[in-house]
Amino acid sequence: MISQVFILSSKGDHLIYKDYFRRRNHYNHKDLYFLHIRQGGLYWVATTTVGSSPFAIIEFLNRLAALVKDYCGSLSEKSVQMNFALIYELLDEIVDYGYIQTMSSDVLKNFIQTEAVTSRPFSLFDLSNVGLFGAETQQSKVAPSSAATRPIQSSREQGGKSEIFVDVIERMTVVIGSNGVLMKADVEGEIRVKCYMPSCSEMRIGLNEEFSIGKSQLRGYGAAVRVDECSFHQAVRLDEFDSHRILRLCPSQGEQTVMQYQLSDDLPSALPFRLFPTIERDNGGRLLMYMKLRCDLPPKRSPLTFVCLISLSQELSSPDQSAELKPQSRAVVWQIARFAGGTQLSALFKLEVPSLSSASMLEVGPVGLSFELPKITATGLQIRFLRLSPVQPGPSQRWVRYVTHSDSYTIRI
Amino acid sequence: SCTASLNEDLKEMLESSKESLKLEAMKRIVGLIAKGKSASELFPAVVKNVASKNIELKKLVYVYLVRYAEEQQDLALLSISTFQRALKDPNQFIRASALRVLSSIRVPIIVPIMMLAIKEAAADLSPYVRKTSAHAIQKLYSLDPDQKEQLIEVIEKLLKDKSTLVAGSVVMAFEEVCPDRIDLIHKNYRKLCNLLVDVEEWGQVVIISMLTRYARTQFTSPWMEGAEFDENKAFYDSDSEEKKDQTEAKPYVMDPDHRLLLRNTKPLLQSRNTAVVMAVAQLYWHLAPKHEVSIVTKSLVRLLRSHREVQYIVLQNIATMSIQRKGMFEPFIKSFYVRSTDATHIKTLKLEILTNLANEANISTILREFQTYVKSQDKAFAAATIQAIGRCATNISEVTDTCLNGLVLLLSNRDEAVVAESIVVIKKLLQTQPTQHGDIIKHMAKLFDNVTVPMARASILWLMGEYCEKVPKIAPDVLRKMAKTFTAEEDIVKLQTVNLAAKLYLTNSKQTKLLTQYILNLGKYDQNYDIRDRTRFIRQLIVPNEKSGALSKYARRILLAPKPAPVLESAFKDRDRYQLGTLSHSLNLKATGYQELPDWPAVAPDQSVRNVEIVEPTKQPKSDDKFYSDDEDEKEEEGSDSSGSGSEDSSSSSSSEGLFLSVRFTVSGAFSFHEAKLMLLVISITNISMTAGFGSFLPKLEFITIMISFFYDFFFFCQHCLFPQNDSKNPTFRTSGISLFHMSFQVTTSSFGPLKTYELLHHMTGKGLSAKYHFPRQPCLYQPSMVAVQVILTNSSDHALEEIHIGDQSPASLNIHCFNTIERLEPGASVTVSMGIDFSDSTQAANFQLCTKEDQFSVSIQPAVGELLMPSTMTEQDFCKEQGKLQGMNETSATITMATANASRQAINKQVLSVANVGEVPSSQNNFSSLEARWATETEATICIGSPKLDRRLKNIA
Repeated sequence: MISQVFILSSKGDHLIYKDYFRRRNHYNHKDLYFLHIRQGGLYWVATTTVGSSPFAIIEFLNRLAALVKDYCGSLSEKSVQMNFALIYELLDEIVDYGYIQTMSSDVLKNFIQTEAVTSRPFSLFDLSNVGLFGAETQQSKVAPSSAATRPIQSSREQGGKSEIFVDVIERMTVVIGSNGVLMKADVEGEIRVKCYMPSCSEMRIGLNEEFSIGKSQLRGYGAAVRVDECSFHQAVRLDEFDSHRILRLCPSQGEQTVMQYQLSDDLPSALPFRLFPTIERDNGGRLLMYMKLRCDLPPKRSPLTFVCLISLSQELSSPDQSAELKPQSRAVVWQIARFAGGTQLSALFKLEVPSLSSASMLEVGPVGLSFELPKITATGLQIRFLRLSPVQPGPSQRWVRYVTHSDSYTIRI
Repeated sequence: SCTASLNEDLKEMLESSKESLKLEAMKRIVGLIAKGKSASELFPAVVKNVASKNIELKKLVYVYLVRYAEEQQDLALLSISTFQRALKDPNQFIRASALRVLSSIRVPIIVPIMMLAIKEAAADLSPYVRKTSAHAIQKLYSLDPDQKEQLIEVIEKLLKDKSTLVAGSVVMAFEEVCPDRIDLIHKNYRKLCNLLVDVEEWGQVVIISMLTRYARTQFTSPWMEGAEFDENKAFYDSDSEEKKDQTEAKPYVMDPDHRLLLRNTKPLLQSRNTAVVMAVAQLYWHLAPKHEVSIVTKSLVRLLRSHREVQYIVLQNIATMSIQRKGMFEPFIKSFYVRSTDATHIKTLKLEILTNLANEANISTILREFQTYVKSQDKAFAAATIQAIGRCATNISEVTDTCLNGLVLLLSNRDEAVVAESIVVIKKLLQTQPTQHGDIIKHMAKLFDNVTVPMARASILWLMGEYCEKVPKIAPDVLRKMAKTFTAEEDIVKLQTVNLAAKLYLTNSKQTKLLTQYILNLGKYDQNYDIRDRTRFIRQLIVPNEKSGALSKYARRILLAPKPAPVLESAFKDRDRYQLGTLSHSLNLKATGYQELPDWPAVAPDQSVRNVEIVEPTKQPKSDDKFYSDDEDEKEEEGSDSSGSGSEDSSSSSSSEGLFLSVRFTVSGAFSFHEAKLMLLVISITNISMTAGFGSFLPKLEFITIMISFFYDFFFFCQHCLFPQNDSKNPTFRTSGISLFHMSFQVTTSSFGPLKTYELLHHMTGKGLSAKYHFPRQPCLYQPSMVAVQVILTNSSDHALEEIHIGDQSPASLNIHCFNTIERLEPGASVTVSMGIDFSDSTQAANFQLCTKEDQFSVSIQPAVGELLMPSTMTEQDFCKEQGKLQGMNETSATITMATANASRQAINKQVLSVANVGEVPSSQNNFSSLEARWATETEATICIGSPKLDRRLKNIA
């Protein structure tokens, strides 16, 4: 049972405040429990009184944030401020007297009357120099990240484009031991569909035909694309999945995660990055870190962002290297703007460390890499085709995007 | 003044005649509310707009009303009549939203009105409205708890509802109003279990938690006595468990209803709603036999990939579970490895779980993992890791020494927090290891000067005192240092200093007597009373004087007694006293309103209470396209039918075919009284979204989808019957019915074109005789309960056919009015004959034989649902009245697709008529035009009024 919902800015200002029991003044703070999440730089807070499962409320807040994102296009302080009437209406519809009624955008679209306000109309063209997920890049063939951040209702309007975005997003968790042995490799992936089609009755997503789930099942002769387990959105029909690896669904407007999958330990391709570190102490008592970093991506593929974070348990004085030193986190941050596949980079860091001992040498590390690889999936999952039926009247655009993030890519030294 | 002028502006805007200005003003006002600012003085200006036709505006007014009605009770009452009117609206959404707002207005004076509205809505045809009424129950209950008894009656009624939409909401109301009335659940238990999968997800959470409680009071424990809850042995194979089960003297047999619950909740583990997954997980944990609980493991581990807030709560629950059931999570141990990107609170929980899962087999892997964690920059986490190592060391004796050595190495760590934590843990470990550890203590004594963390200093001092005989030279020296700094130390350190002094005094008084006295003197004047008390006590205990009693003789035995080693245990050890997944469990304290899960009853209560009499199973529609059959015996009861007041079918209701963008049809009505019961038919054309209209800029290829839903409802009470039986013989009614039919038939022929003809007998199979039939949609002349069928018989053979007649019929009870035998049909000739068939209101085929002199051919006629209906006449008011009485248990639907370009009224009529024999309700209201139908059933006594209604609303798309 939800008593109040707040949306707070990052500074803690009230953007939206909805009280479902304002009149019951016998509630004092003692009986109220606050739960919050943080999304889109905003705090989403709910208070509850009795008998609620914290799961329900956290799930509610997450769904609320997703709904507001669907309805307003993007999540930011500004978009929330501009759409308070819409969000208030949403809050009014989804919760009645503290009880969650429905959060399905298909049901809600019957009720929600207010139109979203966006700061400016989005056009694919004025953003062509901005790459996927907002980073600077020359990848002009990729749809701009902001293309998918517009309110779902805009497709009701005259100018609303019929568009569909299918994103394959994978997150890698890798731990490489100090001896260079891969200790753990996990990939979590999901296929996300964001639909702006007012009249799309069915959509068929074809995955690689050799896609297989679990260890026993191997298909075809080629290198199988394998995941350990898979879960699907409840709207997905799987009658063609077993035979042809086709997901059928009727996408509702807005964003939904169609499929989630996971692969542990057994990656089909080589790891994208390898690091060969050497750590020494020179005669002047300085700590020498020699880092050789190799990018094993196919040529012409390169990460969009790449940060190498070397943590040191040492107190550091200023180094004589130009790489950035973060004294607060006691780490060296080595940022590489361009790093083409198949190349190798080396760097030598010399660090002045007071009272360097051999014991403290052991306290260096681990190295963490963070990167974003566009157009690459670690599992090899590909979208073979994307078909919509009935055939859309007028021009419609379909975007398929792949990206692999580093969730946690750690190399122990 | 600024706000005053702002409010003046808003008031002016609200009073303007322009909708757009009003709307803008309301948006701003809602903006004020959303920011928590007061807008109460605008109440009179706002409330005037409550009856606005503009839905967007209306909704914003509702928001305002709900917020301020309690402050402005008198003015709020002005709006009540608007809601009362809206409660009768044919559109289910308008009815529902009116009820929602009405029940949210917390003005005590309208309690009776609310009560009435709730009761009426609980019997509404639309499940959506019934769902809203379930929500309203809680609101009324909180406004006026005296209504409890009446509300429980409504809850009882709604619990019987078969709609999945209602189930969740009514259980919410049950939990709020009368959670102790478990008797209301018995009869609905099985239904709830079976519906559960299809209930809306938030409802599932509530139902599962209610059923968990229910099961704990109604079933006996599936847990064997031998396999008690806190088994510390790893739980690898369920075989051994089962063997154990079999050896039990009294075999346990699970109640089938208990099994039903477990079976029906299992698929919900796949839900994408984390709250549902956790609800099922806790249900299995609290209700399932031990060896079945591990079913939930995988789903819980899957939740770890969700948002981090979800992760946090899942990990808390797993931590509790993993203490009792290591085996459940051991295969997934890697999922609990800490990632560099995890937040500290997640990391510590993972650590907790890893420690719980550690056993002889996996300890080496876990310790290696811990080694890297100790290096973490996150010091709170590193400290927690050291604690975890300590716990592993005490729990698994094989690794105690390894751990201890590792911890000693950490004493030379550069980070003080790590060192301090290590000291504290080593202290605990040394206590559990009574063997020689002089070296470690000496090492710690050396570190003493550099350690500043109070807890660590106190720990070293305690160790010195406890093992002072092992370090006889160092201990007095440490005491000497402490004497110097005593006054500057933290309280905890002071207490341990006093302690050390006392112990040294007893063992080595020669060296430390003066030091001890000095420290005791300092302690005597300390600011902290604990320290003063302790000092006084120690002095009396150890320093012999004339006042000291017999106790000082035992001072040595008291202070230097062998002490039991502390048990390092999980912080989650006793969390299982709270139900999993609850707020109390997460907070580890009893939250307000927390209901403890009842313990299993020793003896199972009566199982038969859940038995439900099989209610007229034949009435359930067998499949979507089958009409129900109604031929079983029923209790005879006097009843009578009468038609609604005769009405004039005036007003050609020429609705303008302007630009319209959203069309919503709600067709409802039609019920029949058949002997003991009233049959209801609702034809509901709902929710048509039409995106383009005349002159619209959108492409013309947009489609309108018309949904026609037929609701049949047989659970209606006699007293609601408006149509007494004897009136069916009333000639006035008869004629009015027929005249209406003619009217609507003309509509049909003019717009609908030729009737659909079906083949009855092909001339190839019929040896030259062919037969076709159609439904003329006329009242049957022979018996009112019959449906008229026209059969066209053609002779396509080269010889004349003789004696064409109808032979055997099946089922035998089938009531057919046959045509007269045709003596002779010449080659090439055809003849049209009329038949009457009583389909008993079902779509079951009527089978009979078509015979000639020589041959017999089996044929069958299967009517579509729409053909069983008859149009009827009624005014719009009557229609609304009837519609409101319908319940929507059974429904049949048909979909019509047509291009918007053709969406004229005639065209829609034509389309509707093509699937069902319905008539139009004349409408006087501006934008409304309606369809009406009458549905004739098999018996004379049975009349149904079906009043499909078409409600067309102009909506601005902006």
